[in-house]
Amino acid sequence: MISNLTTGERRGALLILLVMTLVGLFFAAAGRGDPIAVHGALIMVAAIALAFPIMARLYDPEPPAERFDTYYDDPSKVGIILTFVWAAFAMFVGDWVAWLLVEPTWTTSGAWSSFGRIRPVHTTGVIFGFGGNGLIATSFYVMQRTSRVRLPDQLSPWFVLIGYNLFCVLAVTGYMLGITQSKEYAEPEWYADLWLVIVWVVYFILYMRTLARREEPHIYVANWYYMAFILVVAMLHIVNNLAVPVSFLSAKSFSLFSGVQDALTEWWYGHNAVAFFLTAGFLGMMYYYLPIRAGRPIFSYRMSIISFWGITFMYMWVGSHHLHHTALPQWVQTLGMTFSLVLIVPSWASAANALLTLNGAWHKVRDDATLRFMMIAAVFYGLTTFEGSFMAIRSVNALSHYTDWTVGHVHAGALGWVAMITFGALYASIPWLWKRERMYSPALVEVHFWLALSGTAIYVFALWNAGIIQGLMWRTYTENGNLAYTFLDSVVAMRPYYIARAIGGLLFLLGALAGCLNLYLTIRYAAPATDTASLKPLRDELNDAATLPAE
Amino acid sequence: MMMDFSHETVVWAAKTFGLIYLVIFSMAVVAYAFWPSRQKEFHDASAAILKQEDRPWR
Amino acid sequence: MFKLHYRLERRAIGMTLGIIAAASIGGFVEIAPLFTIHQTVEAAPDMRVYTPLELAGRNIYIREGCYACHSQMIRTLRDEVERYGHYSLAVESKYDHPMLWGSKRTGPDIARLGGKYSDEWHVRHLLNPRDVVPVSIMPAYGWLMENDLRTDDLSDQLTAQRVVGVPYTPDMIRNAADDAYGQANPDSSRAKGVKTRYGEETNIRSFAGAPGRLTEMDALVAYLQILGHLTDAASRDTVAKDLE
Ligand code: HEC
Ligand code: HEM
Repeated sequence: MISNLTTGERRGALLILLVMTLVGLFFAAAGRGDPIAVHGALIMVAAIALAFPIMARLYDPEPPAERFDTYYDDPSKVGIILTFVWAAFAMFVGDWVAWLLVEPTWTTSGAWSSFGRIRPVHTTGVIFGFGGNGLIATSFYVMQRTSRVRLPDQLSPWFVLIGYNLFCVLAVTGYMLGITQSKEYAEPEWYADLWLVIVWVVYFILYMRTLARREEPHIYVANWYYMAFILVVAMLHIVNNLAVPVSFLSAKSFSLFSGVQDALTEWWYGHNAVAFFLTAGFLGMMYYYLPIRAGRPIFSYRMSIISFWGITFMYMWVGSHHLHHTALPQWVQTLGMTFSLVLIVPSWASAANALLTLNGAWHKVRDDATLRFMMIAAVFYGLTTFEGSFMAIRSVNALSHYTDWTVGHVHAGALGWVAMITFGALYASIPWLWKRERMYSPALVEVHFWLALSGTAIYVFALWNAGIIQGLMWRTYTENGNLAYTFLDSVVAMRPYYIARAIGGLLFLLGALAGCLNLYLTIRYAAPATDTASLKPLRDELNDAATLPAE
Repeated sequence: MMMDFSHETVVWAAKTFGLIYLVIFSMAVVAYAFWPSRQKEFHDASAAILKQEDRPWR
Repeated sequence: MFKLHYRLERRAIGMTLGIIAAASIGGFVEIAPLFTIHQTVEAAPDMRVYTPLELAGRNIYIREGCYACHSQMIRTLRDEVERYGHYSLAVESKYDHPMLWGSKRTGPDIARLGGKYSDEWHVRHLLNPRDVVPVSIMPAYGWLMENDLRTDDLSDQLTAQRVVGVPYTPDMIRNAADDAYGQANPDSSRAKGVKTRYGEETNIRSFAGAPGRLTEMDALVAYLQILGHLTDAASRDTVAKDLE
């Protein structure tokens, strides 16, 4: 892999690593006595460890010019492996956290493993580690294919991928060390945030450079979604993380905003992280992989454009539905609720577009677990957005907010939509990238699918019940007009549902582990693709499908 | 900097201009998507990804 | 050739601008009015700032992720007001950088926890919740009692708080570390300045019951005991909203 880099790129990489080593060394030495020193040391060690293999190959010959005849897929391959690693790790922590709510003593006596510290390890690990790596890996893949050009250089994709993973590692280790801003989904402290800004700018420039070199006049719609993901996440990240560090050598910072402003900024961020990280990015994935795997063009290209602008425009207004009945001014709450209801239109248009694309390919859905992953993802996307709009209604929210219903809703989206579309896209790309006939074991993909589906169902049903019971218990009155239940009554009532959820989560985790195993077996043992035709997926079916217009 | 505006003014501006913006924006998007001459471009784009030749055009 | 590329590039940039235009307006409409909201927020002239010890306790609350299970935002709903007390007012979190309203109640809301339990209760509860509430699923926090509180950066913390708008005086900033120690050690000479700087109402006592030491437990309990008591605005507030 390293000898595929040009000499100049190898030197550039070393230079970057040298700078990082020095920065890490500086924080490690000057920040002694503060947790930031640990992170300084971590950055330094990571940079040095990466430098060794590059130095060993610094004087290898230049890569052959034939490389320009192929796409540059090494970063996508590593990105896919990292996606699976993060999935296994973060879902394991998720299930651990789930069991802690059943049996709080199932942990170590160390502070690092207490519920409040590892819960964000789970959320960051799945959203940014698993989801983010999946998005980056597939976006490199998709932007090259749809633009029909190779990535403009070979260094910046590595910078993005590795830099991003460094951010994730800083985040996750930080929580365990007690470094956190406490803002949900934006917990990493100021220096990690700054680092992410750098990585993100490089990512955006890389995307723009690739698009600018494209040979197709039209930018395929999947790229629109990926771009919205990159751009808006940058906006959100910067605004929400504005903070003043205690000192240059302290890991601690204080948010620039306070109280109501902080709450609304946080949920404007938080909800749009759902919209642009967990929705737009993965819709980009869906608009590329689902048509290809089904061998049919997207049902309505126009509908995909209209939903794109609908989603980009309207999501930004809805964050305040997280703050119904709070100290936030009422009109902002109403605004959030109204737009949340309207949002159902572009959301369902997207889900319908995906499902209608499958019309005429249902036999493939039946036989091909990979395509079925994507199909189920679209179904869950539709379900979750409907539920979300419903929960944004003030009176419904009065019941659902603060309860496990929210967590159930989140996971209908997270497991049913985000994870399923990602696994579908990964199972589709792996054989293409590693030039294999197919995944080593299609049966194992099938097993993964059923574990994932049953796990999701158990998880979501358990928490629907839990949340509604909890919400009702909190607001039930006796005949004499007293509150009927103490808070503790509701804690006790949750136990069976928490057990069910933890079992559902375990199934989902096992599925992901089956995926890891399959990935390993495919890379190591699967038969290489025999002829180039198999690299053009489902070629024969395509030739006729491509001539079938949808509108 | 924004201290000079009264809260009411800002709220009013947000509500009216926000709405106008919404309407104009939606019309522009629909017009773009349904502009007749773009039909071919969209159709080609949706079919193009299926013709996957696994190498860049040079 | 060059011209074609120029056109292609323009498209990608146009697309970028379109996304920014579409996406920024909603946030602007939603958030901009909040920056003038101080004109409408209830006034609370008696509002005091957190003492250095309470601030340190708040940092521990953040560090341990208590906010993942506890909210600090009582909604304007009848059952909540009856269960937890007067609904939360915007002004009550005006010095909270960041706010800790929370989003999940695995445990109860604690916006008005201060004074509800004794210090001893809190200490026992935090050391092992199941000692006092047998069915509790809250984690145990044994290390809080073992760890000495870090005070060397408290002055810097107050300075940073001042930068973001909390009215700490230079006097408070200078004496931050001493005040933290003094607040939990009433017999020490350093206890004297605390009330002059933070007001007569300030709790000064050995929160963790380990005099002569200053532990993280002292800080956290001091913070828990002040929750809901930085201002009396809520108890003076007579214009009750219509509760649903
Ligand atoms: C796993 C979720 C969880 C976490 C994390 C958690 N708690 Fe709790 N907490 C609970 C539950 C459940 C209860 C109710 C049972 C009980 O009193 O122990 C509770 C009760 C309490 C109470 C009593 C409230 C009352 O009004 O009776 C206090 C005080 C408290 N927690 C403080 C904390 C602090 C401080 C932290 C962080 C160091 C924390 N909790 C972290 C779940 C949690
Ligand atoms: C093995 C599968 C999983 C299990 C067992 C699991 C378990 C959990 C648990 C126990 C919580 C804490 C809930 C609480 O505090 O009551 C949680 C929160 C969360 N998880 Fe998962 N999870 C899984 C997968 C995922 C995935 C794949 C994602 C996203 C892609 C995700 C996103 C989240 C989010 C966003 C939250 C915070 C919810 C909130 O604050 O309301 N989870 N998860």
